Formats: sequence, structure tokens, C-alpha cells
Amino acid sequence: MSLKNKLNRMKTHMNLEKVDHPSPVEENIGIVNEDIPFLEKWLENDTVPYHFDDDYCFIREVRYPLNHKHGLYAFSELKKIVNEWNQTSLEHPLSARGVNSEDLFFFDTETTGLGGGAGNTIFLLGYAYLEGEEVVVKQHILPQPGSEIPLYQSFLEKINYETLVTYNGKSFDWPQLKTRHTLIKEHVPKLPEFGHFDLYHASRRLWRNKLERVKLSVVETDILEVHREDDIPGYLAPMIYFDFVERKNPEILFGIMKHNELDILSLISLYIHLSRKILQIDGYTEDSMEIARWLAYLGKKEESVETYEKILTAGNEEDRIIAGHALAFQKKKEKQFNEALEIWKEVAVKGNVQLRIQAQIECAKLYEHQFKDVAFALKCSLIAHQEMIREESGLIPGKKQLELEKRIRRLEKKELSKDIFV
Amino acid sequence: MKLRKNLQEVINDLKTNEDFNDNIVHWQVIEAKEAKHVPFPDRMNDKIKQALEKRGITGLYTHQATAFDAAVSGNSLVAVTPTASGKTLCYNLPVLQKILEDEKTRALYIFPTKALSYDQKSELNEMIHEMDAAINSYTYDGDTPSNIRQKIRQAGHIVITNPDMLHSGILPHHTKWVSLFENLKYVIIDELHIYRGVFGSHTANVIRRLKRICKFYGSDPVFVCTSATINNPKELAMELTEKEMVLVDNNGAPSGKKHFVFYNPPIVNKPLNIRRSAVLEVRKLANQFLKNKIQTIVFARSRVRVEILLTYLQELVSKQLGPKSIRGYRGGYLPTQRREIEQGLRDGSIYGVISTNALELGVDIGQLQVCIMTGYPGSISSAWQQAGRAGRRHGEALIIMVGSSSALDQYIVQHPDYFFTRNPETARINPDNLLIMVDHVKCAAYELPFKKGDTFGKTEIMDVLEFLTEERVLHQNGDKWHWMNDAFPASNISLRSAAQENVVIIDQTNAPNNRVIGEMDTFSAMTLLHDEAIYLHQGIQFQVEELDWEEKKAFVREVNVDYYTDANLAVQLSVLEVDKQRTFASTTAAFGDVAIRAMPTIFKKIKFETHENIGSGPISLPEVELHTSSAMLSMEPDIFEWDENRIEQGMIGASHALNYMIPLYVMCDPHDIHVYPQVKAAHNEKPTIFIYDSYPGGIGLSDKVYENSEIILLETISMIENCSCDNGCPSCIGTESATKTAKSDAKQLLGQFCQEKRS
Repeated sequence: MSLKNKLNRMKTHMNLEKVDHPSPVEENIGIVNEDIPFLEKWLENDTVPYHFDDDYCFIREVRYPLNHKHGLYAFSELKKIVNEWNQTSLEHPLSARGVNSEDLFFFDTETTGLGGGAGNTIFLLGYAYLEGEEVVVKQHILPQPGSEIPLYQSFLEKINYETLVTYNGKSFDWPQLKTRHTLIKEHVPKLPEFGHFDLYHASRRLWRNKLERVKLSVVETDILEVHREDDIPGYLAPMIYFDFVERKNPEILFGIMKHNELDILSLISLYIHLSRKILQIDGYTEDSMEIARWLAYLGKKEESVETYEKILTAGNEEDRIIAGHALAFQKKKEKQFNEALEIWKEVAVKGNVQLRIQAQIECAKLYEHQFKDVAFALKCSLIAHQEMIREESGLIPGKKQLELEKRIRRLEKKELSKDIFV
Repeated sequence: MKLRKNLQEVINDLKTNEDFNDNIVHWQVIEAKEAKHVPFPDRMNDKIKQALEKRGITGLYTHQATAFDAAVSGNSLVAVTPTASGKTLCYNLPVLQKILEDEKTRALYIFPTKALSYDQKSELNEMIHEMDAAINSYTYDGDTPSNIRQKIRQAGHIVITNPDMLHSGILPHHTKWVSLFENLKYVIIDELHIYRGVFGSHTANVIRRLKRICKFYGSDPVFVCTSATINNPKELAMELTEKEMVLVDNNGAPSGKKHFVFYNPPIVNKPLNIRRSAVLEVRKLANQFLKNKIQTIVFARSRVRVEILLTYLQELVSKQLGPKSIRGYRGGYLPTQRREIEQGLRDGSIYGVISTNALELGVDIGQLQVCIMTGYPGSISSAWQQAGRAGRRHGEALIIMVGSSSALDQYIVQHPDYFFTRNPETARINPDNLLIMVDHVKCAAYELPFKKGDTFGKTEIMDVLEFLTEERVLHQNGDKWHWMNDAFPASNISLRSAAQENVVIIDQTNAPNNRVIGEMDTFSAMTLLHDEAIYLHQGIQFQVEELDWEEKKAFVREVNVDYYTDANLAVQLSVLEVDKQRTFASTTAAFGDVAIRAMPTIFKKIKFETHENIGSGPISLPEVELHTSSAMLSMEPDIFEWDENRIEQGMIGASHALNYMIPLYVMCDPHDIHVYPQVKAAHNEKPTIFIYDSYPGGIGLSDKVYENSEIILLETISMIENCSCDNGCPSCIGTESATKTAKSDAKQLLGQFCQEKRS
């Protein structure tokens, strides 16, 4: 029996998906334009073949005028915001200080699978950049698995930018690009070093509580007000690509290319939007609280205090309490104990239960250590304890509760000894 | 108060006490062996010498020195070493030497289980610490935290892993391991003998992938393997790695005096030749040692037996020692449980451990004083491995093998010469098993494209590549084949069993706080985790309340009952293709492909102690289909003038006996191979005995049976002849054939095949 018959019989034991029809095997030695299937369709869709080493890939290019509005912003805003960055002294992971707006490289890939294995093929490298009065979008497309040398050659010979702007590119797109590059590195130019703004991490900081999932598509609709029509969802990309490889007709692939193009354009709007938030160009907004926290996390004390103060004056009741609470810690650090105490007293009344408990405990600490008022310290601690018990009735006492109980015991002892000596 | 006895005193008891003495059929004393030392090799780095001297080692055993010289001069080798002979130095020394000579050197250690790699890392790091050298060694497996993975990939001189992790965690991500693959000088394969059958065939393919990737990055590592005693270590190592191998077998390690006792339980039913249960005898024997706090390991052949023995023994000695001092150890326990048990054995807080063959491997549990085997472990090689668990370098050790009623056990127990003089078994792998190889060709294509003319290892695979292209898994572009699928192929391929998905066992005794207590492959789950099955875990009984076959979950609840369950499997068989055939006057021996459909039918409830059947119930699970290879022995239907029933009874008996004897010739468990008689086989309408591999596509076992059918048949006949029963018993032809003539009929049937072959 032939090996192939045997293979066909054993099929049921193999991890194979069902297929309907066999495909002819194609050879592609010494390709000229006339040999490229459906070339007309490609050309109609702004795409031209790129030849290299007896093989080829496709490159698509489209241009948008700067006054084109994508969601909330026109692309011309990018120039303005880069200017803003260059005029502020704030150091920030997304800062474009020292960068020309034409040096930003908005980048996104499409792949044949998930995960970071060696066999997950990138079939589309897409990017956009500013050039004069236009935004240029370029996409390099792999005509079939194995034609990666022209793909990476064409991509690497021209790129000359400072900073990548991606969505989750730090953990996905760029490492995957490195992986695929490793496989053919003898044949193509080296990968350049880049700066990298990953807007996914920034978006998570601002909107993880607000959005159910911080996916680019969700950020687009809910934040950037970009509304797509007839979009093909990204998860269909592998299937569509395989179908294209088999049938060679690019019609269906154009949908994925459009999808990728819009993703890249959204990166521009998102970078503008995030920068405006961080630089607080619109003053207080509903995102100010997260911005203040982010600045505090980055160690930008001054800027975070400023932001908290903005919230205190302009924010709604809930935000003001939270901002006050955060600000009070700052005041305490700066030894402005009276101001801190006044804020915490207010938080202890108006805040939500967790804040009330924390504020009471902070008051207790101030009374005990700064104002040497054991009686008040004890009173605050007991109120906090009561609230805690009510809140967590039935649960095993947590670390915080045990700590608080220790504090109470210590204060009671102090109080007692004071009584004896008085 | 009665004083505790030491080992010597208990040995004397065994010799004199009638309760035991009458059942001892053979007492072999293996004398102590002196060490054979040689000085450190000249080229060995001073740092290594000093580190060894700090441990009180002033020279090497002969086999260690030979291995060092071979490996350092760039020869791949396999070292055959018994338990506790210092085998780790056979590979650690050359690896450390090379790293000291060239800091860039990288080595990959492959251990069959995570437990072993865990031990190895501590030992290696101790040595490195004493050498005061900047050498990094890390384990890289499923438990490695993600924050240190990158460091390991870039800076680990020695990366310790297992075949499964290599298969799914390293090779598919080789671009992140460039510095390892570019500088890989040594690949260590410890416990080589474990890589046989399905697992070995898979691992051989993983190594083909490893070598492909090494070639891509320009390295060509030396393979250093260590193996327990098997008949063909060199052949196995060469099949597994496709490299020329030097055999190192000049063991120079010392060993203490050993008593090897064959123990046959008394006959309790003379006419049926039924002996007292080996499990009950082992309970009695183990109790003698445990109550005297003599560290004892008891091996049992199945998970169920481990749990039954554990229940018995914990009851017996819980008053004297406390239940925690006797533990079970087998697959299905969680890793943390295992670590705790290993530690307890080393520090002496655990006196007894009841284990499946999981502890045959080099897991470091120190050396115990007594080893008891509940039945013959199935192979000579395995028996010596288990025996090696007892015996310190100084002082005596006792090994007791208790025969069960099975034919194979009785054959071994009654033929001590056979056991002590015969070569151990041959380990077989079949890396070219189509199913296994195709799976790995997929993984390999995912890792790097194939080129026209490429082989996979030494095997031609153009047909496979074209097949996978037709199946839309690969894409041919010019003379190269590229992966073209959105899947990650390695994640769907398990190296360990035919079944690709495991059943998770969920304990809902304390609902809603359900917890996962273990897992099991789907094929075993059909007969062990069906609805109402009693599942034993760490001596605790659970009843399966629901087996969710779709979701592969078994929900169990703790119970306390006095029975266990045993399930039956119904089988249908058809021949697809005959590849090889030998025809004689009235018989035919053939080898080819068959399709088997199996379905569990009913289960029986069997009472502890008496082992009587106290009830049964149906099992409703879907049929499982298996395509595999099979040897087929057919004869003309009218040779014997018997009615169909008599032929059937005779064939059932003959099959039973064959199933017992085959593992003597092929290194496998009796359940790796199935023997199935059909009075009128569908393909030729003749009485036929099928002997097929349990694994899809076959792993070379039935092929070996076909090639050696004559000797296997002759030995089986002699086994039946030598059995002292009258009309057949569990020790020869089983009890399913109840007729008076069955025993002689079985013999005649088997004889018919040999007679013509000899002529």
C-alpha cells in the first residue's frame, strides 16, 4: 500500500480540519508582472508588485490630506500635539519631545495566527507617517507563505523613523517581527532600533475601569468616535488570508487591508487624544483622576498634585473626595499636617465606605503621632473599626483589620497610662 | 515493651518462620561488589577536581572516566548504569569541563519527568557552587515563572527540561533561544530506557526537530545518554538520536550485599490452582518491616493496587507510626504532593511508600532497605530497576518479589534461573509511525519550512509534505513547504499517550468548594472513571457521580465502601490491509493494518478481602475507534473436528496465555498489546488470533511478535505444559474458558502453528 493511501486512511486519527477540494501546486520561478494573478484588481486597489530575488510582494499606498478627520481629530492635530510635547518639560513615556512629527511611525501587523511561535506568519506589515501636508499609509503584503524575503526587504530598505507607535506592539507585533526576521536574517537588512510608544498600556491606564475590554476597536468607538462601516473583524484575518492564498483572488483580502488601514489611522487619533489627556490641554476632564494617578505612579509629584488640585476645584463630588484623599497623602509628606487633617476629616464623612475607613485611620495616625491627641486618635480608630466590621461581617479578619486592632490596643494602653499619671 | 528488630533479625525470621518460609521458592544472595576507581583524567579542569575533592571524591569510577573521555572528545555515548552508581557525573563532568573551557558553551538536559529535573538542578547547582564558577543552570518547564524565562533563554549555560516542554515550549519558539541553539554542544538524555513505545517514538521525532533547528543555527551537539540495563541500549540510543553511539558499560560503582527472594503465595484452591492474592501476601510481609520501622518500598502494578495496598497498610500501622508515615506515589498526584513524599523519604519521616513504576525512575528518594514487588513488574529490566531502590552501598538489602496468579508471574517465580541469567528485554520504538511522525512533521514545518529533498531524520517525507499540502496544512511555494494554518500544532499533540485530551478529576465533596485532585488520559478514563466507578486517590475512595465525556470532566465525591470496581471493554475488529504474510499447509501468519472499535460495556463491583463479585451495572460511553497494526495467526477451520464452541474456548485460552508471554520478548506492558481471538475472522472466515498494538498506527510491538512468532508460540506451549493445574487456571489459560478440554485444546491450537513452521 502506498504511503499516501495509508495517510488518507489514518486521517481520522490526525489533528486535521476538514477541507473540501484539493489545490494545484504552483511554481514561481522568475516571476514577471504578467504572471501575477489578478494583477488588474491589485492595481485598481492602489497596490503594485515589488520584485526582488525572483520573487515578489505587494505594496499598497494611500494618502490622506491633513485636514481629513478620523473620529474626533483631523490629522493636522498631530503636528500641533507634537509641538505641545516639545514645549512642555513633563517627562512621560509618551512624550514626543525632541521628535519631529514626521518621525512617528504608526505600525500594525496582521498575522496567520495567535501567539508568538516561530510559525505564526505576518502577512501584512502596515504603517502610516506624516509627509508634508499628507498622511501616507503603506501596506506590504505577503503574496504567499515563503515569499518573505521581498516582504522584509521592501519593508526594511525604506524605513527610517525614530519612534514606533503601536497598540500592544511591545508584546506582540514587534517580537513577532523579530521572530520572522530571524528566520531570513541572512537575506535582508538588519532590524533598526526604535523608540516605542505602546498605546495599549496608556489606554489601559485611563480606561480599564470604564471599558469592558480595552481593545483598539472598543477604544475607537467608545472614546475616539470612529465609526466603521462594513468592517471585517480582525479575527477573521487568518481564514481570509488562507482563502486568498488558495484562490489568489485578492477581493476578499482587500477587506482585511482596509481594516488594517483604519486600525493604523486610529493609532494617529489615539495618540493625539492620549497626549491631550496627559498634557491636560482641555483642563479638567472625566479622565483627570486616572491621569493624576498615572503621574503619581511615574513619580511626577508636582504634576500629579496640580492635577488633583484641578479636580478639587472643577471635578464632581465623587472625584473631588478621591482627589482630596490622594492630595492629603501628599500634604502629609510635605508636613502640612493641618491641611491633611482637614481634608481627611471631610473624606471620612463624604467618601465611600473604603475611603471613610482609610481616612479615619489616617486621621488617627495624625492625631496620635503629630498632634499627640490619644483620645481623638482612639476615637477615629474605633469608628474605622466599626465600619470595617459592618462592611466585612462574617469574613475572617484581614491584615488591615488586624493592624487596626493592634493600633486600638496600643492607643487604649496609652490612654490608660495617661489616666494613671494625670 | 517489645524491642524493634533490625533488618538482619527480620531476615532470620523470614527464614525460620513457617508462615513465610514455606512460600519462599528461591533465595538468591548477590554478594557485595568492590568499587573500581581510576584517578581523575589529566585534562579535567582543576576547579572540577577541587569541587569533587571537597565532596570526598578522589577518583572516578571506571564508567565515569570512560564517559568523560568519550564526551569531551566529541563522541556521543550511552552509559548503562544501575541505580545509585553515580551516573550523573557521567554527563555533568564533560558538560562542566566544556563550559569552563569556553564560556559560550550551552547544554540541554532532558529528563523524562519534571520531578527528575527538579532533583538534578539542586545537585548540579551544589556542584557549581563548590566549583566557584559563574555557570548558570536553570530548569525550564511549565512551572518556570515568566519573569525569569527571558533570562534563561539568553544566559542559561545549562537548561534542564523535559521532552514535553522541549516539544511545545522551546522548539516552536526557537527564535527566542538563538544563543542556546547557536552554541549547543551537549544534549543529555537521562533515563534513556523510558523512551520506548509511544513516548519513545514521539521523543525520537522531537529530537529530529531539535537537530533540524540546531542545523539551522549551525550547531551539531554531542548526545550523552544514560540508561538502565536493557538488552539494546546502544541500538535504542541510535534510533532515538540518529547518531553513532559509544557504549559505556564498565560499571565501577560498588554495591552492598543483596538478598533477592522469590515468594509464591500458597495455593488456596487446588483444583483451580488459585493462589492466595499477592496483595494480601504483600500486606503481611510489608507489615513485618514497617512495624519495625525499616524503610520499605512496595511496588504495585496498577494505580488501583497502589491505593488498595495503601488503605490496608495505613490501617495496620497507623497506631504505631501514624498514617502520614506511609504514603502512596503514582501518576495522578499533583506535583507538590509528590515533592513532599520524596522529601519525607529522604529525611526518614516516611517509612513506607507504595508506588507504581513512577518511582522506578531516578527520582532521588535516597536508598531504602527493603523492596517488595507485588507481582512481577512485567520486564526483567524493570524488576532490576525496582530492586535497585533497595540497597545502600554499605549494609544489606532485601528484595522480595511476590508472584501473583498470572501466568507470567508464575513462570518467572518458578524459573529463577531464567530471571537471573537471561538478558533483559529489547526496547522498541517506531519513530516512523505515521500518525506520530506526521504530527511532528507539522510541528517541524511550523518551526522551519521544509525544502525539496529534505529528510526528517533519516526518513523520506516528500509524500507526507504533499499530503499535508493537500490537507491545507502546508503551502508549497517553489521548492519549499511552509506552515499555513492558524493553529499552534504542538499544543494538540501529547507525547505521552494516544489520547490527546485528559479527563480532569473534580472532587465535589465540599461543594461549592470543588477542587481538582488529578487527571487521567481518556482511554483509561473509559474504564476507571465511568459513572459509579470507585476511584481511589491517596487511599481515599471516591465515587464518580458524573463523567462528562464532552467536557472531559469527572465529578467525584468521597465515599466509604468495601468494594472496588472493574470494567469490561467490548471489541470489534476488521482487517484493512495485509502487508506481510507466510503461508503454510493449514496455517497462515500475517502482519498488517486493522481497525478496532472498542466500547466499555459493564462494570463489576468487587469486594475487598474476598474479591467476590457483588454487583454490576452498565456503562454508556461512545465507541472509540483505533487503527493500528496487528499480527494475525489463522488456521483452516476444519483441522480439528471440534464444534465452534470448543474451538472458541481453546482460542480464548491460547490468547490468554499468549498475552502473558509476549511481554517476555517485547519490552511492553501486557496492556500495550492486545490478543483477541475470532472463530471466524471477517477477512478470511478462518479462526484467527489477532495480536495488535494498543496505539494508533502501531509502535512496532506486533511487528516484533510476527517476526518472532515461532519462539513465542513454543514458549507459550511450554508454559501451559508446565502449569500444575488440571484443566486450565488463571496462571496459564485464564478462567474464561471453562470447558474440561480447554487446556489441551489451547496447547494443540498453538502447536498447530509451530509444527508447520518447523517443517
